[in-house]
Amino acid sequence: MKTKSIYKIPQGKLLKISLNYNEKTNKIIDLIITGDFFAYPEEGIEIIEKKLKNIVMENDILYKKIESIIKKNMIQFIGLDSEGITNGIMMCKK
Amino acid sequence: MSEKWRLLQTGYKNAYTNMAIDRAVMVSHSMKAVPPTVRFYGWKPSAISIGYFQSLDDEVELETCNKLKIDYVRRITGGGAVFHDNELTYSIVISESHPSISKNILDSYGRICGAIVKGLNNIGIESIYAPINDIISNGKKISGNAQTRKKKTVLQHGTILTDVDVEKMFSVLKVPNEKIKDKLISNVKERVTSIKHILGEDISFNEIADSMKKGFEEEFNIDLYKGELTKEEMELTKKFENECFSSYDWNHRR
Repeated sequence: MKTKSIYKIPQGKLLKISLNYNEKTNKIIDLIITGDFFAYPEEGIEIIEKKLKNIVMENDILYKKIESIIKKNMIQFIGLDSEGITNGIMMCKK
Repeated sequence: MSEKWRLLQTGYKNAYTNMAIDRAVMVSHSMKAVPPTVRFYGWKPSAISIGYFQSLDDEVELETCNKLKIDYVRRITGGGAVFHDNELTYSIVISESHPSISKNILDSYGRICGAIVKGLNNIGIESIYAPINDIISNGKKISGNAQTRKKKTVLQHGTILTDVDVEKMFSVLKVPNEKIKDKLISNVKERVTSIKHILGEDISFNEIADSMKKGFEEEFNIDLYKGELTKEEMELTKKFENECFSSYDWNHRR
């Protein structure tokens, strides 16, 4: 199912998620993360998009997965955080 | 004796060339081929730049831009969509390891914005840095800024608004909901200001550039000497302009 969300990160920037997920398995097929935030290095967002494929759309699972990708790839956000991306993705289900 | 940094005054150029020059200088400095560099420039024709992570289709009224001959380009820096119409744009390229540049990204925004704050003060405008990436005067935004770091090199560029036409701006930038467009326009009019609005008169591009030059010299305790792009930088500019910034794939990648 293709869906979108727009989420204003508290004290941060505007996050827009375009998501394609499998309703039966509750897993992400693919997603695009856009918005006016900053990420260092910028390629970090593409890494997150790639690594979230096939991940189950549950709050805790998503949050932990995003945190581990950020830590492993030393990604730094300004105006965005793991919680924000998790919330943006979960909003796509509502 | 003060450290000497290069000053580039490249005048008015189109969006693709402007973004290509900033990237070329960044690459050139990362290879230690040129000193830290401050650049002042304008946009002709007027243009929209979108942040690296933004979707072009989500942010820009492409048909209106084509009709009005307004360029659009994706930046290599994050941040939001900007309509470059009446403004002076600056960029600074400097090594991440320079003692004046904090490892902390937000602190380095503050330091570089400090040069713009001092520059504005030189023309009689009081302003402060407002994190994440704005400079405000009397609570209203007068400058927006964006930074990237690649190959241990910092590029920060930003706008200094000389005048604002909010109606024109919203004819080329997409609004999330057409029904609230009027409200959005009046909100932005309340939140954004310009040099002309504050001083009640037009100040020339060159006069603002001179004030900003002094602002950078004061903030970083340096001397800016007037320089030119090197031959290699000109070649890189052409390459980045053709292969990246003017290409459909780059601008529509999100």
